Amino acid sequence: MQEELLDIICCPLDKQDLELDVAEREDGDIVAGTLTCSECGEAYPIEDGIPNLLPPDMREDAPA
Amino acid sequence: MDRSRADVRQTYDRIGEHFSKTREYAWPEVEAFVDDAAQTNLALDIGCGNGRHVETLQQRADRVLGVDVSRSLLDAATKRVPDASLLLGDAARLPIASGRVDLAVYVATLHHLPSREARIASLDELARVLDSDGRALVSAWSTAHDRFDAAADAETGFDTTVEWTLPGSETVPRFYHIYAPAEFRSDVAASDLSLVELEISSGNCYGTVRPEPF
Repeated sequence: MQEELLDIICCPLDKQDLELDVAEREDGDIVAGTLTCSECGEAYPIEDGIPNLLPPDMREDAPA
Repeated sequence: MDRSRADVRQTYDRIGEHFSKTREYAWPEVEAFVDDAAQTNLALDIGCGNGRHVETLQQRADRVLGVDVSRSLLDAATKRVPDASLLLGDAARLPIASGRVDLAVYVATLHHLPSREARIASLDELARVLDSDGRALVSAWSTAHDRFDAAADAETGFDTTVEWTLPGSETVPRFYHIYAPAEFRSDVAASDLSLVELEISSGNCYGTVRPEPF
C-alpha cells in the first residue's frame, strides 16, 4: 500500500479518517501495519500490502 | 437459506484462482464506456476481481482503486495490475472518502448482494464516493439473458443459484439476483444515483449513472 492512499481511504463504518501504524515497509510501500479509525477506534490490518477494510462482520473470522 | 455478504466472500475465496483464469478479457461494454470518458485523476472498480477492468480504467485515470471482497481475487489482481491500489472491502460499505472518484465501474457485482436493501445501499455508496461530475457504469445480469425463461418485460427479477464448476467437477453455488430491466431502473431511482442511460447488452443491464444533483 502506498502512503498517499491515506487521503482517499476511510473507515467503512463511519467514513472517518484512518491513522496509519507501519510494521513493515518495502521500497517505500507499506507491506504490513494497521489502520485505525480516528473516531470509532476500529482497527484494520494491512496484510501483504493490501489493506483489509472489510467491516468486522465480514472478516474471515466472522461467522457467515 | 440464510445468505450473507460474508458468503459471497467465502465463495470467491474458494473459486478465485480458477475463476480468475477464466476472466482474461475486458468486456466491450466497459471498454466503450471508458473510451468515452475524459482523462481523470481517480477511477474506481467495485468488485474488481482479477483486475481486468482496472487495466481498462488505467488508460483514463492517474490512479485506479480496485475494491473486492475476495482476497484470492485481489491476489490475482496484484499480479495483473501491480501499480493499482487494491483494497479488500464491501460494496455496500465502501472504505473510500466521499466525492473523490471521477470515474467508476461496478460490473457484474451488484447481482451478488443478497438483499434489495444491500443492493440499494451499494448504489448509495457509489453515489457518495463519486465527484458531482463523476460518472459510473453499473452492470447486472438480467432476465433478458438467454439462459433464463423469465419474460424480459417482467416488473421484478428473481433470486437464483448459479453453480461454478471447479476443475475436477466439484461445484460451488453462487447467489445471484437476476434483474428485470424495469427493476434495475427502479433500484437506481431508489438510490442516490440518477440513471443517464440504460442499455441491455449480452443479457446484462448496463446503466450509466451519476450522483443525483442536490
